Amino acid sequence: MAMNRRKFIKYAGCGAMTSTTMMSSLLNLRAMSSAAMSTGVGSSDYKALVCLSLQGGNDSYNMLVPTTPEEFSAYRDVRSNVAHERGALQDLSGASNGRTFALHPNLPNLRRLYDEQQLAFIANVGTLVEPLTVDDFFARSKRMPLGLLSHSDQLQQWQTAIPHERSAQGWGARMTELINDMNPGLNTNELIPMNFSLDGINTFHSGQNSIPYTLNPFEGAIGIQGFEDSPLLESAVRDMLSQSYADVYKNTYLSTLNKSIEINEAYSEAIENVNLGVTFPSTVIGASFEQVAKAIAVHETLGFRRQTFFISQGGYDTHDNITIRHDSNMAELDLAIASFQRAMEQLGCDEQVMSFVISDFARTLRSNGNGTDHAWGGNVFAVGGPVRGGQIYGQYPETLDFRDNTVDLGGGVLVPTTSADLYFAEIAQWFGVSQSDLGDIFPNLINFYDFRNTDNNNPLGFLTLS
Amino acid sequence: MRAIILLLGLLFSTVLLAQERDFIGGRGETGVTVTASHTFTGTDPQSTINGNGLDADLMAASRFLFQAGLGGSMEDIQNLALSGDYEAWIDEQAALPMTDVLSNVIAINEEEFQFFLTQTDAEGNPNRPENYFGPWAKHFSYAWWDNAAKAPDQLRYKVANALSQIFVVSHNNTDLSNHGEAMGAYYDLLLRRSFGNFRDLLGDVTFSPSMGFYLSHLNNPKTDTTRNQQPDENYAREIMQLFTIGLIELNMDGSPKLDASGEFIPTYDNEDIRGLAKVFTGLGGGDVSDKIKMEYPNARIEFGVELYGINKTIPMRMYDSQHEPGEKSIVGDYVIPAGQTGLADIRDALDHLFDHPNVPPFISRQLIQRMVKSNPSPDYIERVAHVFADNGQGERGDLLAVVKAILLDHEARSCEFILDPAQGQLREPLLRHTHIIHALPNDSPSGNYWKDPQSLFERTKQAPQTSPTVFNFYNPDFAPAGEISDQGLVAPEFRILDSETSIGYANQVFEWTFFELLLFDWENRTPHVQVVFDDLEELARTDQEGLIHRVDVLFLHGQMSDVTRGVIRRALEAAGPTGRYRERAQFVVYMAMISPDYTIIK
Repeated sequence: MAMNRRKFIKYAGCGAMTSTTMMSSLLNLRAMSSAAMSTGVGSSDYKALVCLSLQGGNDSYNMLVPTTPEEFSAYRDVRSNVAHERGALQDLSGASNGRTFALHPNLPNLRRLYDEQQLAFIANVGTLVEPLTVDDFFARSKRMPLGLLSHSDQLQQWQTAIPHERSAQGWGARMTELINDMNPGLNTNELIPMNFSLDGINTFHSGQNSIPYTLNPFEGAIGIQGFEDSPLLESAVRDMLSQSYADVYKNTYLSTLNKSIEINEAYSEAIENVNLGVTFPSTVIGASFEQVAKAIAVHETLGFRRQTFFISQGGYDTHDNITIRHDSNMAELDLAIASFQRAMEQLGCDEQVMSFVISDFARTLRSNGNGTDHAWGGNVFAVGGPVRGGQIYGQYPETLDFRDNTVDLGGGVLVPTTSADLYFAEIAQWFGVSQSDLGDIFPNLINFYDFRNTDNNNPLGFLTLS
Repeated sequence: MRAIILLLGLLFSTVLLAQERDFIGGRGETGVTVTASHTFTGTDPQSTINGNGLDADLMAASRFLFQAGLGGSMEDIQNLALSGDYEAWIDEQAALPMTDVLSNVIAINEEEFQFFLTQTDAEGNPNRPENYFGPWAKHFSYAWWDNAAKAPDQLRYKVANALSQIFVVSHNNTDLSNHGEAMGAYYDLLLRRSFGNFRDLLGDVTFSPSMGFYLSHLNNPKTDTTRNQQPDENYAREIMQLFTIGLIELNMDGSPKLDASGEFIPTYDNEDIRGLAKVFTGLGGGDVSDKIKMEYPNARIEFGVELYGINKTIPMRMYDSQHEPGEKSIVGDYVIPAGQTGLADIRDALDHLFDHPNVPPFISRQLIQRMVKSNPSPDYIERVAHVFADNGQGERGDLLAVVKAILLDHEARSCEFILDPAQGQLREPLLRHTHIIHALPNDSPSGNYWKDPQSLFERTKQAPQTSPTVFNFYNPDFAPAGEISDQGLVAPEFRILDSETSIGYANQVFEWTFFELLLFDWENRTPHVQVVFDDLEELARTDQEGLIHRVDVLFLHGQMSDVTRGVIRRALEAAGPTGRYRERAQFVVYMAMISPDYTIIK
């Protein structure tokens, strides 16, 4: 029922918010050329993907907690002083294979979105090169990700999907480069990249030929001071920007500055009159989601039919003071996502936008006294219209009790039972990568899923692929 | 040494002459405007005109003072150029007493506290002492900038800045932001060991309560099976990955060693981390904090007292009852025997890490990257690494010897590397700020050089001790996509250059120049520190080329290209022949500082 109400609210097509009459002639031209080139591909074919990085390693076995009495008791025992009280948890409706689950106490909105079938969890996911058991791990009989349990390596690998190498090439960049190559004219904006980052240059968006457009979470695009007041200053700076220097470092610096100015001017103008009609929390994560919502609101004006965004929320490295810090992180996350989903409904874009979570790793099930340490497999979620929500995909460990747990390497470091590649591949397919091309983006995918077999068409099943 | 420097000075001048047709001071090149030279105080105009290359010496000295310090004034540059003895300069610097940060944090905090007491609260009642909060990160930031502006021991500050980006402790998004004295004490530890021994530095870092909090080996208990507790692995991992040996085995020249099948060789595995994690158990506060002592005179320190309650300016202490018993197997199959005290375990582990063959190249390369260039040649790394391994008197880890080896190396001094289009480094935003503080005259009516902890970070993603993670603002191997990575080069600082910070920095320069606003405190309580443009304004009035040249020497070390010079000249022409001389001076500094000839130091 809740889902119907959500659809009922949707009164206009995605993109109706924007009005090109407000824009400069330059942007009008861009918008017109965008419309002209869109023949053959309906303007409704818009998709936006938000990658949300919970930096430091989300303690995701405190985010998604088993509540069947026996399982909860095992949870209490293993997590000792970092365990939640049963009564404080947000119970999820329905049962998965007879098991029940609940969310962190500060996630009431995520619980609602789950119950409204807009949010799904994928359990015990992690970086893997090939399928692996605890015995394989100790026998070293299988290839394993480099730098396990290391922040820099693991966060990198969630963004590269190349865990067997220290690569800096993000799968987001590979995916968008491929889609752009396969669909000429899909994005008509030649100035502003289709990938936006609210967290500077990030690995997910770093590719052979792409870096993201970065915005400040609170200020958005910031222009050069003095240009408005001093034509002399502006022309001098522009004169310098038009020069060429005999040096790769100097040229890289100058082209970064040059492009930043051009992009910021075009973008600031485009979002000038956007009114989302939704209040976002004034946290970094809230402000970041607000910037994303604004960018989505003007996608038609800007000539985008595919956009990706990278957002990060820091502070998850909870070796210490876990309960306080994780609690406030969860609360901020919950409110930010709630605002964002409301904004997407207002824009009528909710069926075309999805957000998915990555994090370095989960944390050890065992407490180190007042916190938890780096582990491996963990729980993530995806939210938005395309998500077949209200379910937990993957295999949530049968018990968190380390004595009976068949995936525990010791201390509550769990071997992932679902490869992050499967999670990513399904997202990439939804975004527009054809099944046969998945191997180009995810080199290890074939070890988990035979994408060459056309009978297989949904690696995990948490998204509606159409 | 003197002779070499002089020779380099000549080389410098000759080569630049070949490149720059209008290089002032260059051996009587036709068409050169020499009117500029008289404007350098202390410079004999004749030596410029006759081409004895004093300008080239000034430029070389200016460049050295940026590599070896936080930037130099005209006077600093002239003094060094006249002596020409860089090694003597280093020795003089190393002999200077250390200007510590902590005592300044405490003095500034006291001043702020006294001021607070003179003010009233929201209801109009006098502020109560118990409502004062400090010292916190603001006071650390004030003290750091105050010292960066005033301290004579500039080389020490430069080395500490480099070390602070290897041994990262940050108040960005951590509880350390509430403890300015903890940040001050930590920075002092880096300053104190900047010319000391690396092994001592490693020990001080390990026992620092700030590091203990940041990487969570403060109050890290031994295994407790009844509570399902195991030793925290954070510090064990990062001390290997970041502070000593790195992830893969290295040759002395910094290149990776390869195994029989051509693969990199990992330095350690997860078992090594678990073994080392046991070593770093049992450390707790050294004493309760002074504040706690005042409130509870009988309070005694014990294991488990949290950050807020401990004295954060003294080393952590070992509580053997909380230290993991038994033997510990660490990297390289080294076994620390059972039955030792916790301190002996840590001593053995640090000695063992310090002796690992990776340490000299791993640390040397990063120090070169922070002081000289992003892509040191393997030979350069190897030369420095050998000094790290043995200073010539059998001492390993002598950081003063390493610093000298870095700064006086042919590759740091010779201009052949300046002319290589594939060489360079994006100047750290933090150092661009200290540079203008030193390069131009300024006026601080209060005598303070305070700066808030946030504004520079918001504009440039860098400020003292604000790294987002223990992995520093940038990774030593980062290369932006495009020309730089295509050529197999790295450029760490480009990690924080993006569409936000490239413009953020330009706007910061705008504030320094057109607003003459150099530094100001958080609440705008004390008068702003202003850049003084009087001298440059006078130059703009009398000798426009001299103005451009002075800015070139001060900021660009004589590396202003024809391209940049042309842009500046055209704009000055467009502004009309006369008038608005102060703005002209500000404009030249603005354009120079945002130009690629400045942001990229070669």
